[in-house]
Formats: sequence, structure tokens, C-alpha cells
Amino acid sequence: MKAFMSIRRSIFAVLYAAIAVALPAAARAQEKLPVVATFSILGDFVKNVGGDRVSVTLLVGPEGDAHVYQPSPADAKKLAAAKVIFVNGFKFEGWIERLIKASGTKASVVVATKGIKPREMADEDHDHEQGVDPHAWQSIANARVYVANIRDALVVADPGGKETYEKNTADYLAKLAAVEAEVKEGIAKIPAARRKIITSHDAFGYFGAAYGFEFIAPQGVSTETEISARDVAKIIRQIKTQKIPAVFLENISDPRLMQRIADETGAKIGGKIYSDSLSAAGGTASTYIDMMRHNIRQLSAALTS
Amino acid sequence: MYDFLIAPFVEFEFMRRALVGAFALALGGAPVGVFLMLRRMSLTGDAMAHAILPGAAVGFLVSGLSLFAMTVGGIVAGFTVALGAGLVARSTELKEDASLAAFYLVSLALGVLIVSLKGSNIDLLHVLFGSVLALDDATLILIAGIATISLLTLAILWRPLVLECVDPNFLRSVSGAGAPTHLAFLALMVLNLVGAFHGLGTLLAVGLMMLPAAAARFWAKDLTSMIVIAVAVAVVSGVVGLLVSYHSGAAAGPAIILVAGVFYVVSVVLGPVGGLRRHFVPGRHLEA
Amino acid sequence: MTAALQFRNLTLGYDRHPAVHHLTGTVADGVLLAVIGPNGAGKSTLLKGIVGVLRPLDGAIERAQIRKRDIAYLPQIAEIDRSFPITVYDLVAMGLWRRAGLFGGISRRERDEIEKAISAVGLEGFEGRTIGTLSGGQMQRALFARLLLQDAQLILLDEPFTSLDAKTISDLLDLIHRWHRERRTILIVLHDLDLARTQFPETLLLAREAVAWGRTQDVLTAENLLKARQMCEAFDRHAEVCETDAA
Repeated sequence: MKAFMSIRRSIFAVLYAAIAVALPAAARAQEKLPVVATFSILGDFVKNVGGDRVSVTLLVGPEGDAHVYQPSPADAKKLAAAKVIFVNGFKFEGWIERLIKASGTKASVVVATKGIKPREMADEDHDHEQGVDPHAWQSIANARVYVANIRDALVVADPGGKETYEKNTADYLAKLAAVEAEVKEGIAKIPAARRKIITSHDAFGYFGAAYGFEFIAPQGVSTETEISARDVAKIIRQIKTQKIPAVFLENISDPRLMQRIADETGAKIGGKIYSDSLSAAGGTASTYIDMMRHNIRQLSAALTS
Repeated sequence: MYDFLIAPFVEFEFMRRALVGAFALALGGAPVGVFLMLRRMSLTGDAMAHAILPGAAVGFLVSGLSLFAMTVGGIVAGFTVALGAGLVARSTELKEDASLAAFYLVSLALGVLIVSLKGSNIDLLHVLFGSVLALDDATLILIAGIATISLLTLAILWRPLVLECVDPNFLRSVSGAGAPTHLAFLALMVLNLVGAFHGLGTLLAVGLMMLPAAAARFWAKDLTSMIVIAVAVAVVSGVVGLLVSYHSGAAAGPAIILVAGVFYVVSVVLGPVGGLRRHFVPGRHLEA
Repeated sequence: MTAALQFRNLTLGYDRHPAVHHLTGTVADGVLLAVIGPNGAGKSTLLKGIVGVLRPLDGAIERAQIRKRDIAYLPQIAEIDRSFPITVYDLVAMGLWRRAGLFGGISRRERDEIEKAISAVGLEGFEGRTIGTLSGGQMQRALFARLLLQDAQLILLDEPFTSLDAKTISDLLDLIHRWHRERRTILIVLHDLDLARTQFPETLLLAREAVAWGRTQDVLTAENLLKARQMCEAFDRHAEVCETDAA
């Protein structure tokens, strides 16, 4: 009888322990805040700030092009299921407002670039799109603002995680500072006269302004605008007269045009640099920090040889 | 004058290449365009631009963003659609236009499906379609090669092709050459289109095939002159369009096509054969 | 008498409905045969079957030693694209296809033949005109000129005289008789009974089935014509499968 009682007690104890462990885990799993980020770079920021407390879904995945993205019904579903939706703003996602309306979501929409001073599009002779340059994340100083906005939004949506979010943010900001130092160092190593490249996508304006680098582009911001002979001629002339040393491809545009310009000017073709999205997981630019690091390394390699 | 007309081509290699590319397209594509127009297949070009998607998509799935793989895939898909449509039109009650529409729509849907499977939302066709300003050696050779093949094929198939257009029943009754000729012509069309898409983009490819042909209609009474005029219009449009793009900053492809469009409008209004001129200014009648 | 064509229990039709029903007989070599019958009697269908455009629903057509290229066929409604920019000369020149082939040039002698054919049908001066500018009668004559050049052994004409004036008809009849003298086999579908009686020695009176076949004066009797007229023109929607084996 006594033995039996003790076996029963042991069984209860084990059961109890199991439940005690499982419940909080289950509760935690139930607690993950569902959020949506419109594209991979933004998503990376949100993941770093939110950590385990959020479950991030992306609309435009890695290697995707948000300028020409066509949302699908599945995306509307993702929006409807989310509690917070992070968008870049500055008209980066031309399709997002309609999608939000169509999805009928009750989520709060957070513009990650709030508080960032926008740059104008630097095209003197292109008369398309006189507008704002949306690629604000290219400057790490701006990235800090993104991260702060994200943190504040998450705290509002999930006050219980305030401490976690603040800690994550602090950690991440430290990492950002480290990368920023790397970038500045990399730039310093490049002789001042060589701090300019041609790239086919006018997406690095903020980087250039922040770190003293010149990016010259043959096309406008969106990958959809078509090019004219005059523009190509100008670029070639400019490369030749200013002795711009390198031409860079990036992950969303016509590489053949780049090759043509490089062939005709003798400029070096640099590697791939990332502007609008991260690389696929396992690639060299699968997080924002990796992306900035990758880009500066590519730039240095091409320009300091 | 020199500065305006010649200097751009002397100074920049990409301009010279663009000229050669447009020239090759004019030589090979304009005659094909004349036949397409006469056979009432003028909208085929646009249909083809969509029809090649599944081929390009499969190429993409297999080799990633390899232009070679996607172009080959596009050609295969184009052949399948064009030849399938041609065969159905020949052996059933359905006419050419409907059968082509049916095939290309199915093909397009298939293509979109395949692309969405991979998950990435790269606009495949955007990648596949080139620009006249970015012609590298391989592409130039491709376009020039296709032009040569086109001219040779048209020269060889001239008689049965004309017969097939004018009086297919007669051809059927005296020879079995009708079907192979028809299919060879369709294959030639696909080759021209896909090659031109790859090198020059859809607008330029279809535009330089069809607009000069439409313009030539108003100046020529017989087939040979029509083709010569179409080629001439295409060549001039290419040159003038490139110069316009150079001096005014207009996008290159559209500039060339708009110049061709101007030729077309002028032809409709002023052309002596079947245009509007006779309509409004009939002229006094002759003695006999 | 050698046979140019042999019909064995031939049935030709559309959608399983017979237009020519159980036809058996021989077309002699070198004959000049008129094919007469009411509308819908199967006359055009018969010619299409001979050319090979239509497959027999039953029975067979034997063409003794006559290959496809030896047959010249003038359809009732030529499906020619009138808007295509070729000249009368080019259209007529198509008749030389058999000799010139895909690549063959056209010799001096052949050029002469083309011009002769064009004037034989009364179209001198029309060589450079595009076919879109021709009247119905002129088009018909151009097609006749093409037929001339084809130099065929078997000639099939489906109502060739529709929309032609009397002079043209007379000219073309001369051509036909010339062919007959050259020992070519000619079948011609007609509606004009007087023309048949005066110009054509043999006649087949067809009303789905052969009503009469032989010398024209024996065939085109009042009695036969009445029988032919009694054929029902429309296909019977409720027809059963035909059990009759032979005519």
C-alpha cells in the first residue's frame, strides 16, 4: 500500500513537472507576436529587435525586387493575420496601401523611416520621378532610426516584452556601430580620387552622402524606367573624363548594359553589391550587417587595387 | 551636320553596335513582318512575347539567370506554340488567329505558374528582354546570324511561301510543300522574334517587324518592292531613332519605334497605294 | 478503251451524310464529260473527291497512273487572297510549278508560254495588274491561263463559266476543245443544259446517285431530268445507317 502510494505520487510529480515546463513554453509559443515586414532588409531589423517574441513574415523575399513586386492573395492573408505591419515608406512600396485595404487587416502600420530626413532623387537630367529616394537604410545612421522606430512600435504592440526589446535593440546598435566603423575604415583606405563608382541602380544615395562616396547611375531608381542613348553616352564620357575606376553590378537589373559600359571605358567590373534586398539565406549578404560588410569589402577590393 | 549625324557613331562603340543590331533586325525581320502582315498575323509578335514565358521559366529553373538557357527555352516554347497553332489551323476548322490565341494563353498561364513555383518574384521577362544599347558580341552574332538565316530561308522558300499565302488550295493540289513551308515560316518568325527579344526587347523587335511592313503597304503594289521599302523604312527608323535618343535623351527603343510610327502615319495619309490620299484628293480621271 | 478514272461503289459526303451515293462507273481516257445535276447533287463533291481533297466515306476512286501533279483543278469558288500583292503574270506563272519547282528559274521559252497563255484567254495588257484589281470574269480567265500552263493529263472544271460573258465563254470553249483534241481527260460541271447538248459529247447526270451516264443525247432526256429533279436537296437529319452494299 505504501509503495503504491509513493508510485502514484511519483507519477503525479513527473506529470506536474512536465506540465510546469510545458505550460510556459506553450504560453510563450502562443505569445509570439505576428508581424509582417514588407521586404527582407526591414525584416532583418525587425527580427533583430524582436528576437524570439516576434514571428516575422516577409512579403518581398530575399533577392526580390520591391519596385516591381506584384502582391498575391497569399500576401493579403499574411497581412490580415499580422498584428503589426512594418513598411519602409518614402513610396518604396507602391503597392502596399491597396494591399492593406484589400486585406482588411486590423494591424497597426508602422512607417520605419519616420523621423529620417529624406533625400531628393539626384537626377538632374532625368525628368522621370522627381521624388524621394526611398533607400534610407543604406546609411547606418538611418538604420539606427529604423531600429528605434521598430523597437517603439513593438513595445506598444507588446508591452510585456519591453525589456527584451530594449535589450535586443541595445545589442544590435552595438553591432551596427561596429559595422559602421568597418565601413568608415574601408572608405578611408580608398584614395579620395577613386571614391566613385558606376552602378546600374540609383539606390545608394544615402550611403554616398553619409560616407563620402559617389555613386553614379545610368538609370533612375526604379528598374522599370528605360534608358536612352544620351544617358549611356554621358556615363561613358563621365567615366572616361573622371577616370572612374569601377563598374558595379547589383542584384536587380540588366547586367548586359553594365558590361557594355565597362567594355567601352576599360573600367573594372566590380562584384555584386546589394541595394534593395538581402541575398538568399546562406549567401554573403543574408542579414543587413552582412550586407553592409559585403558591400564595403567589394568596393574596397575594386578600388584599392 | 557632321556633329549631329555622324559624330555620335564615331565617338561611341555602343552606338555603332546599336546601329548594327537595328540594321540586322531590319534586314531579317522586316521581310518576315511583311509576310506576317499579308497573312493577317500582325498581332502574333505580341502573342509570342508572352508565349515564350514557360520556356524561359524552365530555363531559369534549370540554370538560374542564365540568358543562354532562358533564350533557348524561349525558342523552344515559341516553336511549340507557333507550330502547334499552325498545325491546328491547317487540320481543323479553327483559323490561325484563334488557334494561336488559344496556344499562347495556355503557354502564358503555364509560364506564370512555373515562375511562381520558384518563389522569387523576379520579372523574368524583364530580365530576358534586352536593350539595343547593351549589345555584346554574342548577342550581335546571334541577331546577325538570325538575319542571315532569315534571308536565305525566304529566298529558298519564296515560291511556295507566296503560293501558300495567295492560293493554298492550289498549292495543296499540286504539291505537298504547303505544310512544311508554312511551318518553316512560323519557325522563322519565332526565331526572329525570340532573337530580337533577347537582344533588343519586345517593343523594338515587334515594332521594327510590323510598322515598316504596314508603312510599305501604301507605297508598293507588288511583293518585292513592298519588302524592299519595308527594309528601308526599318533601317532609316533605326538610324534616326538612335540619333533622337542620343540628342534628346528619349529612351532608345521607343524612340526608334516612334520614328517608324511617323513613317507609318505619313504613309497612311500620303501613300499612293490604297491610302487616304486617293480618298480625299482623287485626281481627275484618265482617258482610258 | 483505257480508263482514266474508275469509281467503285463510291460514296462521298460530309459528316457521314452522303453527297455522292454508291457511284460506280468508268471515266474513259481522253473523254470530254459534262457533269450535270440539280443543286446539291454532289457534283463539286465528286470533283473534290477525284482531286483527293475529300476522302471517300465508302468505296474507292482509282486513278489509273494519274498522279496528283497530273491533275489540274479549277474550283467553283477559288479561295484566293485577292488582297495579296502579286500580278496577273505571277499568278499565271504558278501553273509552271511542276516544271520550275522550288528553285527552277523560268526560261525564255517558259516566259513565252506564260505570255501566250495570258493572251489565249484574252488578258493581254493585264500582265502587270495586281490580282485585286480584276473583275470576277477576268480572275476566272487568269485562272484558266494558269490551268493552260499546268499541262495536265486530267482537267477538272467546276462551273467555270459562271459570271462570264458570251464571247469569253466561246473563247474558253475553244481552249477546252483544243485540250480534248490533245487527248486530255476533261470533266466539267455545268448548269447550262443547252451548252451541254451542243458542246459536250458525253454527260453524267448526277443526283447523288448516277441517274444516267453516257452519250449526251441519251442522258439529257425529259424523263431523266425529271428523275433527277426529284432528289431531295437537304440532308436527312434522321437518316439511318445505309445498309445497301452496292449500286
